[in-house]
Amino acid sequence: MKLLHLYYDIMNLYGEYANISAMERILIKSGIECQTDRLSMGDNAELSEYDFIYIGSGTEKNQKVVLGDFCKYTVTLKSYIDRGGVILMTGNSFEMLGEIITDANDTEYEGMGIADFSVKEQNKKRTTSDAILKADFSDKELVGFINKCSEIYGVATPLFDVLLGLGNNSDDSKEGIRINNLFGTHLTGPILIKNPYFLEYTANLIVGEKTEINTKYLGFEKNGYEVTLSELSKLRKNM
Amino acid sequence: MKLFLTILICKLLRFFGKLIGKGSSLPGKIALRFCPDILDRVTLPQYIIAVTGSNGKTSTVEMIAHILIENGKTVAWNKEGSNQIEGVTTLVLANSTLTGKIKCDILLIESDERFARYTFKHITPTHYVITNLYRDQLTRNGHPEWVADAIADSIKDNTRLILNADDPLVSLFGEGRDDVIWFGADKLEGDTEICTGKYDDGAYCPKCKKFMRYSSRHYAHIGHYKCTSCGYERHDTDYTVTSVDLDKGLAVINGKYNISLALKSLYNIYNILAAFTVASVVGIDGDKITENLSDYVMKNGRVVNFTLGKRHGTLLTAKHENSISYDQSIKLAASEKGGCDVMFIVDAVSRKYFTSDVSWLWDINFDMLNCDNVHKIILSGKYCNDLAVRLSYTDIPESNIKIFEDIKMAYDFLNCDREEYIYTITCFSDKNKFLSLL
Repeated sequence: MKLLHLYYDIMNLYGEYANISAMERILIKSGIECQTDRLSMGDNAELSEYDFIYIGSGTEKNQKVVLGDFCKYTVTLKSYIDRGGVILMTGNSFEMLGEIITDANDTEYEGMGIADFSVKEQNKKRTTSDAILKADFSDKELVGFINKCSEIYGVATPLFDVLLGLGNNSDDSKEGIRINNLFGTHLTGPILIKNPYFLEYTANLIVGEKTEINTKYLGFEKNGYEVTLSELSKLRKNM
Repeated sequence: MKLFLTILICKLLRFFGKLIGKGSSLPGKIALRFCPDILDRVTLPQYIIAVTGSNGKTSTVEMIAHILIENGKTVAWNKEGSNQIEGVTTLVLANSTLTGKIKCDILLIESDERFARYTFKHITPTHYVITNLYRDQLTRNGHPEWVADAIADSIKDNTRLILNADDPLVSLFGEGRDDVIWFGADKLEGDTEICTGKYDDGAYCPKCKKFMRYSSRHYAHIGHYKCTSCGYERHDTDYTVTSVDLDKGLAVINGKYNISLALKSLYNIYNILAAFTVASVVGIDGDKITENLSDYVMKNGRVVNFTLGKRHGTLLTAKHENSISYDQSIKLAASEKGGCDVMFIVDAVSRKYFTSDVSWLWDINFDMLNCDNVHKIILSGKYCNDLAVRLSYTDIPESNIKIFEDIKMAYDFLNCDREEYIYTITCFSDKNKFLSLL
């Protein structure tokens, strides 16, 4: 199998490189041979060759620079998504998929137009929160942290219900976006490490029904997940 | 009259606050509510020196104060580390006469990097040191560029900047200013050409976002850089660490000032260099500064030597949510030639606010522990599972790692006949959970 960490050196805040490490490990532990490519600005990736693609979050400036490069993949990314290819985009990276990003100075940046939402940034205050998010495909909530300065309007197919944390915009109780097997969320950091059940779910999507995914080694991961879920649940009750 | 009353109230609150052990920000907070422009009304001394940046603020300010006081200057400084506008207001008014004149030669202010824009709306520093910009408390700070924008809002035209030339993001504050005082280190033994950490915040030029090249890296993105496209590059320095010998514990500034190090880390040398620079600017003789800084042991409790049963050790205060701080502590432990055990405690991520986020563990270069000098590694605290997962992504043999959620059990494990030195690496939020057991 081939994994791609795209914009690995410029969209990589909050230890996010570990998302690709986590996917690589679960596949190898499941007996699957893996090759991981790390590509960035100016490279030309053949997206169709990959079984999993990951893009992390960046500074607002870096996101705009990357958007200028990423647009060259619009057609190939669309067909990757259409054929059910698995892709994870964390933090502000998935904002690039929309129609338009308006920055704090009201400069407009045309998005890829793969989804028809719009993004508005401000530069006064970071909007941050620990998060518990519920997906319809799993009875295990996701935990993590959201750290952003933007509001997203018009996501037709959100990924999560927000139990604790922040929605796509301040009036929204839904978070992220899902299109086929594209998962976009403003959760930041190594979410596939922190959420072993979500890792298992996405790994299953990659390998298909015929291959069994090995989750026996995930003991500390599951314990760590339970501790955080329990801590955040206390926080949720107090709100 | 309002000035007089506000100062009086602040002084009284400060006095009684000290008696009952209260923090130093409340009197300033009340003073600001009573008289919002109080800081504009007071008469400030000739030198107002501000220090901000991600890491090293408290240590740098403590060393500056030490040198200045040793050389007969009177200094008002926020030694308790209350570094937002309220704490600074308390500092200023507590050192003021009732008519609003500050009774010292130098006002020395450590300022929180994100809140400097509020503090320095009212007080214009004559000199403004910016130490570095790292990934630090990203759960609150967003990211280093976000913090840089906040600091930019706090800089006034008539302030003289004192900048770390080796940090590309910090150096950007000097663009278009011709009176900047630059400090930095020459190419040093132990420098690398490539980035050896888990991420590289120096990969792209902060100015034009094209690729940047380093001829020499001291650590992380700190070093000698040049943009391959716009030509943005490291500025020549006025105050320079010209050589370092960490084994001997010696740093040389400007080729002639030999400073003996109490804490043998490069990280500490930058704080020393910043303090040396400020003291020189104020007019203290280089030989005097060298004498004052040599073997100076910080009083701020960031480094604590301890005895645990028959064993000896040092607690190094790294900051949770700050990978460079951890990297430097780990590097120090890994250089212990006599062999050491290293203990990590992550129990409360922050002492000031709640978060359960441990993403920052993945930015720390734990691989440095995979060396002959490090024997056992002990992981402890509520987030010991996350530490265990993180270390499982290094090549450190599993048999060298011990995991105890309970800090007392980790302590009991260490309390044995092993002869290795102990390094305990943790944050302010967690250090007393260990120190109280000793």
